[in-house]
Amino acid sequence: MSENKKLRKGVFVCHCGGNISDVVDCGKVAEKMASEDGVVVSRTETFMCSDPAQNMIIEAIKEHELDRIVVASCSPRLHELTFRNAAIRAGLNPYLYEHVNIREQVSWVHGSTHEEATEKASSLVRAALGKMEGARELFPIQVDVTPHALVIGGGVAGLRAALDFSQRGIPVTLVEKTPFLGGRVSQLDRVFPTEDHARELIGKMIQQVVHDPDIEVLVSAEVRHVEGYVGNYHADILVQPRYIRPEADPDLVEKAMKNSELQTDDEFNYGLSKRGAVYKPYKGAYPDTPALDVNLFGSLAEASEKLGADLVDDSQKPQTVSVKAGAIVLATGFSLYTPAENEFGYGAFPEVVTLPQFIRLLDEEGPTGGALNVNGKEINNIGFIHCVGSRQVEGIHEPQEGKSLNPYCSRVCCTATLQAALEVKEKHPEIRVFDFFKDIRTYGRYHEEYYTKAAKAGVLFFKYADDALPTVGEDESGEAALRVSVRDKLTFDQELNVPVDLLVLAVGMEPSDIRDLVSLMKLPVGADGFLNEVHPKLRPVELASQGLFLAGCAQAPMSIDEATGAASAAVAKAARILGKSRIELDPYVAQVDTEKCRGEGACLDACRYAGAIEMIEVSQNGQIAKQARINTALCKGCGSCVAACPHHAIDLAGSTLQQLYAMVDAIAV
Amino acid sequence: MTCASTPNKVDALVIGGGIAGMQAATDLANQNIRVLLVEKDVSIGGKMIALSKVFPTLDCASCITSPKIAEVAHHPDIDILTLSEVTDVEKLENGRFSCRIVKHPRYVDEDACIGCRQCEYACPTLLPNEFEGGFGARKTAYIPHTNAYPQLATIDLENCAMCGKCIKVCPTDAIDFSQTDETVEVDAGTVVVATGFELTAQSRKTQYGGGTLPNVIDALQMERILAPHGPFGKVLRPSDGKIPDSIAYVQCAGSRDESIGVPYCSRVCCMYAIKQAMLLSGSLPFADITIYYMDIRAFGKNYEQFYQDAKAMGINFVAGKVAKIFEDSEGNPVLRVEKKEEGGHVAEDVHDLVILSQGIVPAWNPEMALPIHRDRYGFVKTIEEKISPARTEVDGIFAAGVAVAPKDIVDTIIEAGAAATRAANYLIRQEKTPVLTVVESQEQEVAR
Amino acid sequence: MNASKHKILILASSDSAYVGADTVGQGHNHYAANTYIIRVVSPAMLPIDFYLHAFQKGIDGIIVMSSGEETPFEGAQHQLTRQLDELTAVLKEQGIDFRRVKLAAICTVCTASFLREVRAMNELLDEIGPIDRQAVVRPNPLPIAMEGGSR
Repeated sequence: MSENKKLRKGVFVCHCGGNISDVVDCGKVAEKMASEDGVVVSRTETFMCSDPAQNMIIEAIKEHELDRIVVASCSPRLHELTFRNAAIRAGLNPYLYEHVNIREQVSWVHGSTHEEATEKASSLVRAALGKMEGARELFPIQVDVTPHALVIGGGVAGLRAALDFSQRGIPVTLVEKTPFLGGRVSQLDRVFPTEDHARELIGKMIQQVVHDPDIEVLVSAEVRHVEGYVGNYHADILVQPRYIRPEADPDLVEKAMKNSELQTDDEFNYGLSKRGAVYKPYKGAYPDTPALDVNLFGSLAEASEKLGADLVDDSQKPQTVSVKAGAIVLATGFSLYTPAENEFGYGAFPEVVTLPQFIRLLDEEGPTGGALNVNGKEINNIGFIHCVGSRQVEGIHEPQEGKSLNPYCSRVCCTATLQAALEVKEKHPEIRVFDFFKDIRTYGRYHEEYYTKAAKAGVLFFKYADDALPTVGEDESGEAALRVSVRDKLTFDQELNVPVDLLVLAVGMEPSDIRDLVSLMKLPVGADGFLNEVHPKLRPVELASQGLFLAGCAQAPMSIDEATGAASAAVAKAARILGKSRIELDPYVAQVDTEKCRGEGACLDACRYAGAIEMIEVSQNGQIAKQARINTALCKGCGSCVAACPHHAIDLAGSTLQQLYAMVDAIAV
Repeated sequence: MTCASTPNKVDALVIGGGIAGMQAATDLANQNIRVLLVEKDVSIGGKMIALSKVFPTLDCASCITSPKIAEVAHHPDIDILTLSEVTDVEKLENGRFSCRIVKHPRYVDEDACIGCRQCEYACPTLLPNEFEGGFGARKTAYIPHTNAYPQLATIDLENCAMCGKCIKVCPTDAIDFSQTDETVEVDAGTVVVATGFELTAQSRKTQYGGGTLPNVIDALQMERILAPHGPFGKVLRPSDGKIPDSIAYVQCAGSRDESIGVPYCSRVCCMYAIKQAMLLSGSLPFADITIYYMDIRAFGKNYEQFYQDAKAMGINFVAGKVAKIFEDSEGNPVLRVEKKEEGGHVAEDVHDLVILSQGIVPAWNPEMALPIHRDRYGFVKTIEEKISPARTEVDGIFAAGVAVAPKDIVDTIIEAGAAATRAANYLIRQEKTPVLTVVESQEQEVAR
Repeated sequence: MNASKHKILILASSDSAYVGADTVGQGHNHYAANTYIIRVVSPAMLPIDFYLHAFQKGIDGIIVMSSGEETPFEGAQHQLTRQLDELTAVLKEQGIDFRRVKLAAICTVCTASFLREVRAMNELLDEIGPIDRQAVVRPNPLPIAMEGGSR
């Protein structure tokens, strides 16, 4: 094709079924564009993204031999790919198409000024036409894929993801920060609605994982460094030693675990019991070798001295394990809301516990062997308060220091609370159970049955309003330890005083503290603090950076089945990458104009990605000259080098300065 | 793509072409697994393509569904059969499945039809338009809506006057009344059930008028009224075209209700009622909108915030169970409500238009065709659902979406992904997908 | 507000501010229509000459909406601030009100800040009037060849 052949351009303006055309006069935009230089087709359509409309575009490209197209519709974040694929189907290089956002950035924001909106839409389309004038065919960058997955988090979601990868034929490294696998699920008793035993479920998965030759498990391990890109991530993982000799005499181990000389709160039982310096959270926990809490000693040497060298191997050193992975799944889970001092009496009265603590108390393998008592006192009345640390309302709740309110629902606490309440009624029909709620959200499969059964079993419900939280104080009548005062919306807004011997707070979920990972991997965090997916329906388990995926409560509160489902869904998406030996990346990287480059190196100084730009020596007119060269797989396409070059010898493919200048020219007219 | 000839051997059979089936098919095909997608309706897209906007982002439903439809439609590894029903699936000794599919006649030659709609324009018979919730009309020869895939005409023979006008106008002689049911045998490596839902029938709630009150409609009908290209082009009530000033939502009108055998929560009604209320207050800023509810279940990511926004917008939330709905002399629905928060007194509230949040029930009984069972509510029975979602009692058959239990779109899409992983891994276990390393897809070839 | 007589260019980083602008739209928040958003990977790619070119062409105000410290690109924010400092100096030298260029960090959900920045720029332009295109000098015009399309 000759260098100066006049371009043939097509413009396609979408009504979005009124979303755009109610404000923007789409017909007028198309009409105006029809007289723009080089435009041979200019059309409108009700839904440009629909199959018939896409076919219309394809036909137009073929029939009119279009070599540039512009689609004006919704945000490119929704449909850029759609139309790129349409261009491909028409045999047009997909980068010769430009998307104009006239919905989110025009019709939806200028609803009261139809004429101006139409004018603006026209200007933006004109700018896109200008940009396309300088567009060149681009081709995806080919990248080899490391067929290996890295899963961060050894809870139920991480375990599920690891198993699914391995069964898919993709080797995995599973990294767990704590010394044991199993996460929060292992701390539960029975899970709703199947009433499976939590540690049996998780134990089954752990056994599969640890016997799988394709899964490498690292516990006491933290990701310290991540670099690379989709298909080729590289992570450094710092693994702390176990220190306890796996071959140590079992009696010696047993003795050390029973040693109560040095004790701390047992995190597994949420502080309801104590554990020693050599510990396992529960019988059957994996790894089998107990962990050593070095912090309880002055030093490792002291631990070795006190416990004996037969048990403690103080020669072990922290190790850095390097993992190459084509994709990374974040299954970092959640943490629990800690009520503020005296929030519903928490911390002020020993009779106030959280629901996770209460579940430990109900557990026959728990700290009390399943017996319900507070400091040995008999329990006749139990109260449950829902939405503690969830659904918080500005002006009613006080944010804790350094934190913001949790406006979201934690999703699982209603059913978990009713399950616990029902279990109390079934085991101890004589105990009176009171439930203080805002809304009962037993939304899931079979969850409602807990609600109806609890009501039938005699659990009494009290509905409190957003702006009238129950209050908790000592019961002065002496009938019980505490009394809960509530204005009950179910009974004429009556003020009721309910005596309780034990009060259980259904605390919500909060995101795990993964600040290090967030800054290390530049992860997107939502207003609620959880990791944010690209789009809840279009790409629900993917992060914005290609090759990074979400599984479980790192994303939002979820039940166990929802977390494992998300993990499996993440594997389906990741397998699309890891199942191939090579994938393709966007071609938006820096490119050097070798004619203009004088080898001064301003671009290299501006570039912050090691290896993305290198200076090479070339021979020019018989002389050796320096020149910049781009490593396309390492270039992130940020364009810092573009601004730095005084000769305009380096530019960004897909949005060159020439293209951006042309856009300004079109807008300024 | 729609297949001219159905392949007789595929890696995966996906039953149901709604959002769950489309997502499962795409997730499988993107791993280079060959899929046959079977849809009983005339076009794919399911319930979602008929929705107005979706919570909590208020994206237009079509904008989310259309690209997924397009991806399925153009995927080189997906074949689609519409107007087809799976009638028998049997597990073979080799772990694969022998499947029988009945392809119902369209009375239009799928290869010849160009979707020009000449037959539709010529057809004289008008029927209630089911895509528009029964509002408006469609012809006997029709393409259900502008975004429908495939864009092929169908003739609704049951209601056809046999006038022959369509035959005369068809430019490609595609009309073919000689078509009959056709049975196709397919050998599939794995099966995914994604057969979706229906609403509980209004007729079962006689205390709410049993479907006889014209200004008492269901939520899917309201979706169409709110849709950008809905049947009326604006919000009005069906009986007299009046623009409603007062609109009420009755929650749990067929869920959490032992009396009609739906004791469970239908999971999406609170959120879609809130969403519709928000959209209504956008198009009718002066209308009063009331939601009568038992509990507001805004449990998903950003749902509670959405609910709080609705309250801030002035939508009335009234805790109370609606005991009865009847009509006053002007055709306005009257709600007899026991108001929990006002001392439990019984009031009679008059509204212009009432939307019933009816319950969700399974659309299909898989026991008729597959060696799997239903649970106590009629949904697909699953096993190991906590740690291995989407599994059924039969290894190799998986299920996703509302076929398993009521679910919102986000959860459905995620579960479809999970089903795809299970199904892909089943194929690997059966060693029926020989290689993981594959050639580049056709799309990329074209791009070069 | 006499919005339509001014033209405001918004340079929005694609990962953050551009998404933020979409969020403003999804919330149906209205703002002045004299705003033209250009999506750039990172505004740090734009040389000083680009801004001067825009003013010369008749753009009255430019809001640079970056990702702030949240940028996915290491050091890009630092480079951007440095460039804009340099630009400010050039504008001062030429007697052009340097407030015509404003740097703002806009996140994906920063609806309020987005609206505030647009409002503030319009108020400023109402106060100081349109750009005097003749007064703008491009000391080192980049050799951008506008040779037209070819492939």
